[in-house]
Amino acid sequence: MDFSSPSSGSSSSSQFNPETFKSQLQNQLAQAYAEEFLETLRTKCFDKCITKPGSSLSGGESSCVSRCMDRYVEATGIISKALFSATQH
Amino acid sequence: MDPSVMQNPEMANFINQEQQRAMINEMVGKLTSACWDKCITSAPGSKFSSSESACLSNCARRYLDMSMIIMKRFQNMQ
Repeated sequence: MDFSSPSSGSSSSSQFNPETFKSQLQNQLAQAYAEEFLETLRTKCFDKCITKPGSSLSGGESSCVSRCMDRYVEATGIISKALFSATQH
Repeated sequence: MDPSVMQNPEMANFINQEQQRAMINEMVGKLTSACWDKCITSAPGSKFSSSESACLSNCARRYLDMSMIIMKRFQNMQ
């Protein structure tokens, strides 16, 4: 991860700025989480939808991928909810 | 970066929060992946069937139950 200070803004850009560090860290974490999620989507939907790769993606395969993405996001919500309601009791 | 900045309680708290968030994120990710494989056996539809969504929810809960059993039994092994 890159924690170098921004080139614009602060007059003492070589000094450590906690607020900048925090927001940069959060941005980079968010990006890493998103990339990881995308990779999971690719794996899962390829498994479920592209079962017999042809010379191009069929309409059926494309709509399967769209549904797959929606369902996987929904599944993530269901799992999160189940985990959090379980930890409340 | 001066390492002593991490002794600052506010920063330490922030780092701790992000660590917690990362751990939760990892847990949800792993569980969703495993439960998806167990519960969604056919091609995804335009919505989950009630058995599919029940399976997903149960899957997470049973994983926690199992985790408890493993912890307790492991402690008894020590």
